[in-house]
Amino acid sequence: MELYLLLGIGILLFCLGVVGFLVRTNAVVLLLSVELMLNAANLVFIVFSRYLHGTDGQIYVFIVMAIAAAEVAVGLAVMISIFRLYGLLDISKIRLLRG
Amino acid sequence: MHEYLLIGIVGILAIGGGLGVVFLANPINNVMSLLLTMLALAGLYAAMGAHVAALFQVIIYVGAILVLFIFAVMLLNLREAAGRIFTGPQTPGIGGAALALAIAMGTLLWGSLRKSPVPDEGLSLLERAGVHRLAIDLFTDHLLVFELTAVLLLVASIGAIIISRK
Repeated sequence: MELYLLLGIGILLFCLGVVGFLVRTNAVVLLLSVELMLNAANLVFIVFSRYLHGTDGQIYVFIVMAIAAAEVAVGLAVMISIFRLYGLLDISKIRLLRG
Repeated sequence: MHEYLLIGIVGILAIGGGLGVVFLANPINNVMSLLLTMLALAGLYAAMGAHVAALFQVIIYVGAILVLFIFAVMLLNLREAAGRIFTGPQTPGIGGAALALAIAMGTLLWGSLRKSPVPDEGLSLLERAGVHRLAIDLFTDHLLVFELTAVLLLVASIGAIIISRK
């Protein structure tokens, strides 16, 4: 039954990430919510690699971590660029992405 | 029994951190809440025998990604911009939709696990996929994915430099 408990934690974390991504105005917190969703997916990968006796889940977790690092690097660069342009990071006020 | 207790406590920590990410106003507190979640998840990975993943969780996520977030938050001085943390009046609707999503995912998982059940033994009883098996799998079956990830990281770092240059 631990399987169900762990999967429940993963589902709750993913939905928290979805809520954070949709309701927050701060663009950096949006990136944090994406990280939360990626972490929930990682948890589910590890749980199933554990219970199915495989290694593929853990390998996908490493790939997801590398992709998260790339996403954060590009995302924060975009955020810094937007902040330099507008002086704020409120996504309900930013209308243009043109430099 | 001890396993349930461990998973319960660490899971509550993880979900509490997630709630902090969504509902705290100050961005540095959001980053610290995510730190709590990631450390709790690293604990869960270690409890499940995925020691390499737990180690990488601490080194990559906490040591690199969250530090980058803290740099950005400090650099951008977001404290003064945190007047209004939620978008408009559609917030309760989005909360309900997320609840529906959670119920739908739970039902899907429950149904598919009923149909083809996974052998559900205790956490501490199974043999673990150690670093030896992981390395052999990563560098034989998943070698192409590994190389492509390296290319992706290179492209992303060059792109970040080009984007943030003025």
